[in-house]
Amino acid sequence: MDLLGLANYAVFMAILIGIYALLALGLNIQWGFTGLFNAGIAGFFAVGAYTSAILTSLPASGRLGGYELPLLLGWAASMVAAAAIAWPIGKICLRFRSDYLAIATIGIAEIIRLVIRTEGWLTGGVRGVTGIPRPFGELDYMPSQIAYLAIVATLVLVAYLLVERQVKAPWGRMMRAIRDNELAAAAMGKQVEARRLQAFVFGSALMGLAGALFVHFNRSVTPEAIDPMIATFLIWIMLILGGSGNNRGAILGAAVIWIIWSVSELLTDRLPTEIAVQAKYARVFIIGLTLQLVLRFRPEGILPERQPGSPPHR
Amino acid sequence: MNKKAIAGLVGAMLGAAVVAAPAHAQDVKLGLMAAISGPIAALAPPMAAASKLAVAHVNEQGGILKGGKLEAVLGDSACNPQNATDVATKAVNIDRVLAVVGPACSGAVLASANSVTIPAGVLMITPSGTSPEITKLKDKDLVYRTLPSDDYQGRALARTLKARGISKVAVAYLNNDYGKGLAESFKAEFEANGGTLAGYSGHEEGKASYRSELATLARGGADTLVIFDYGDGTGLSILRQALENNFFKTFVGADGMKSEGLVKAIGAANLGGFFVSAPVGEASASLDNFNKAYKAAGENIDAVFATTSYDAAFLAALAIEKAGGDKAKLAESLRAVASAPGEPILAGEWAKAKKLIAEGKDIDYKGAGGDHEFDAAGDVPGNYAFFKVSGTGYESIADMK
Repeated sequence: MDLLGLANYAVFMAILIGIYALLALGLNIQWGFTGLFNAGIAGFFAVGAYTSAILTSLPASGRLGGYELPLLLGWAASMVAAAAIAWPIGKICLRFRSDYLAIATIGIAEIIRLVIRTEGWLTGGVRGVTGIPRPFGELDYMPSQIAYLAIVATLVLVAYLLVERQVKAPWGRMMRAIRDNELAAAAMGKQVEARRLQAFVFGSALMGLAGALFVHFNRSVTPEAIDPMIATFLIWIMLILGGSGNNRGAILGAAVIWIIWSVSELLTDRLPTEIAVQAKYARVFIIGLTLQLVLRFRPEGILPERQPGSPPHR
Repeated sequence: MNKKAIAGLVGAMLGAAVVAAPAHAQDVKLGLMAAISGPIAALAPPMAAASKLAVAHVNEQGGILKGGKLEAVLGDSACNPQNATDVATKAVNIDRVLAVVGPACSGAVLASANSVTIPAGVLMITPSGTSPEITKLKDKDLVYRTLPSDDYQGRALARTLKARGISKVAVAYLNNDYGKGLAESFKAEFEANGGTLAGYSGHEEGKASYRSELATLARGGADTLVIFDYGDGTGLSILRQALENNFFKTFVGADGMKSEGLVKAIGAANLGGFFVSAPVGEASASLDNFNKAYKAAGENIDAVFATTSYDAAFLAALAIEKAGGDKAKLAESLRAVASAPGEPILAGEWAKAKKLIAEGKDIDYKGAGGDHEFDAAGDVPGNYAFFKVSGTGYESIADMK
């Protein structure tokens, strides 16, 4: 054990936390501020991931791609593509009320996953896309990780500041009004459906960006990365634990859950080898238990939503 | 809970991990990145047990390097890139492993090799990642596998047909990953060796008649039809209809076509011109050694990927021993201990291998799952044989190169 190794590990965790924080921020716009139950996060994550992968990767036979476009263009395109997919979905599904919306979005995420698995000409099918460039990837192990962390951290910070700005603006108050009482908001002349669609599209664009950041970090993407467990439900847990309706809560939730998930394995590794295999499942249990405890004793999350001018009541 | 409490909690967990990690100069750690949770969870325990058996053999027979113990660090790569990169980062940075065995799934291999083990210069040997994409990794010679790529069978079949004097064929494949993948690799290799494809088409599953597709393929003028399909499904209909209408004389299938149901349905008498390729477990002394030890450890010897998991761990240990624990020499050492020429070492023969390495002699590990002669990309050729129909089953007529 040395400090350099520990630092490398910490940097790696911070990168993944940053990527999950972007997903949680996107979900916070949709659920925390607008009350849209999006259970298809993995779908938008996947669209962003594959869009950037196809646009920036090296050429390969048998699938679309090999345009080798600049990274920033790929990232912008991943946000646009995720937003473009979210728009028609929102147009159709946002008329449903919350629980129906959840079912519809799960279905859509699953459709996206199956299309990615089977349409080999587009996505490489089960083989996935490789040869994706990573910024500063030619540096040594540690400098390369730190450079990537700097990029991810900057993007998370920018996303956080923009979302925070938007939420403090009249737009944010309007969204909360729509979330808390749709009829009253409509009676005040607010265009409920159009506003919900806005929130859905903005949130999905952030999820797309997170997908792009993830694939460039790994230089590859396969359909295994968009499993709903790891790309949808884990993010819900992060947001609920951190505090939905609070952007800092969303980021904190991402950090806490990922740290519990990752660090707890180091502890279970110290258990006797006879139960090492079973002990891996203890991590899943710890995550579930944490969620239960938070919901029981602090349903508003670690950092609850702040409502300017009135005491927090949710 | 406030921020201080959270920071304290995180600090305490990290601290506990630091304190708990033992440091012993002579010991060497090997990362086992099994997919314990996730979609292939059922396969993981036997694979981990097989790798641990290799570690146990090392430690029982003199240990590694100068009296050190080989310690296996078991991580859960969960068959997805998120957890695989996480577990690889921990293995490389916290446990300071010299080599990892795994991850199990190809997507996890690609992600963790690209973002962790290759930059960190750690050797990776996967016992179950079969994607052809792994071949293409720019891996600084650090990524290997102990089982053949999916690409291999199609190419081996193409070479075998060429060697048997067949240079014009038609190909009919089932339009899914299995059929299409085999057909593509077959086509590439067959044409590269100067063969001609007189027809090449995919078909959908479960139709009543394939006569029009077969007629189109036959119009190309080839006598041989290569069918990449399943002998218990659509492949049977295609074969039967091609025979009934006398479209082709010779038929060749891959492992999916090697079905006894097919022989029963069509009759061996009508299948004189039907051949298939299929993997064969090399019945070697090495495999017997492994089976005996694995059974004694209370495991089922038919478990999938058990032999390749054992070999991956054993090869990693041999490479570490040969390199004297020097990380920079691992890749070179792995190639040296795995490839001919050299004194053959079978599964479980650690003491013998250690002695020969100490004497500076060249060794060649013959694993339970194959010889493991790595090619330039770190892939191994599979053991495939060419079969003909005999009685109610199949009989091997030639090994495939």
